Amino acid sequence: MKKVLPLILILVCLGAAFWSFDFLPEIGDAGSKPNTHTTDYYIEHATTETNSPNMVTSVIVDYRAFDTMYETTVMFIAGVAALLILSSSPNRKNRIRTHHVRKNREHRGAPVYRTVNKEVVITIVKPLILLYAIYVLFHGEVSLGGGFQAGALMGMTYILDAMVIPEREGFRLSKENSAALGGVGTFIYVLTGILCMVGGGVFLEYKKLPLPVEVLEKHSVGMLLVEIGVAICVMATIITILNAIMERVHFDDDTN
Amino acid sequence: MRAMLMLEAILLLALIAITLVVIFDKDLMVVVITYCAFSFITMFLYIVMGAPDVAFTEAVIGVISTIYFIMTLKNIDRRCK
Repeated sequence: MKKVLPLILILVCLGAAFWSFDFLPEIGDAGSKPNTHTTDYYIEHATTETNSPNMVTSVIVDYRAFDTMYETTVMFIAGVAALLILSSSPNRKNRIRTHHVRKNREHRGAPVYRTVNKEVVITIVKPLILLYAIYVLFHGEVSLGGGFQAGALMGMTYILDAMVIPEREGFRLSKENSAALGGVGTFIYVLTGILCMVGGGVFLEYKKLPLPVEVLEKHSVGMLLVEIGVAICVMATIITILNAIMERVHFDDDTN
Repeated sequence: MRAMLMLEAILLLALIAITLVVIFDKDLMVVVITYCAFSFITMFLYIVMGAPDVAFTEAVIGVISTIYFIMTLKNIDRRCK
């Protein structure tokens, strides 16, 4: 009974999913419902109104900027939640530990044979990834990519450094600071919206930004500010989750 | 068009195969690495469907989630019953 009931539930859900395929519009069908309302407007006006060659970016951070703001907030909350759940005074007895992990602390002084010097590799690779991240961030409105991808790449750089050489003293964010940095990213996003209000527009109306540039330039600057906020939030969230997991993981030696 | 459909079908079949491995394998390390392959093939699917920016996100996030899983595996038993 315990196994049959979930199976029936899964079969019903799968059946409903496959059955509903018939009602989906065909990809590229010009007469379908979503393609007759907003899509035409975006295609005709996106480039002239937002000065962004990439239509996806113009929709995400201009037409639906409010939506993206709360997505960023959700991400920040996710990071904080992971931190709170994983680091809430771990009960030592309930901790899942294996029989063989971390028994051999005395092996620390043993010689470690490496074929490649990890530090050298990291030193070469890290700046390249960071440079690529900044390229993705600043070309978000021209090419594919944008704030989220750039933030994830920056977070990956930090993870590489923290995972490969955990014992090295370097740029390390504590768990509180990384969670706070996520809040800073979200704050930059909101601040951009409030700056638009200072300029006399409504929330996140980029063309009213109080800057001494042309209207279309203001759109670009507004998008860039928003994407910087998103990138910082994503990076900080990734680092926060990493810190939360690191609370439970111990790097003692290279064996295992 | 026909070749694209074939490619899509092959990728979807690979996704099903990977899902079966993820469900039924006992070694969690194998599961994590295979799940990374799942994310990789999903990335190709997104490119075939014409959404390169989603594919980019999937590529980056797939790597990061795999790192998280492996770090968690350092603290728990690899084998499951």
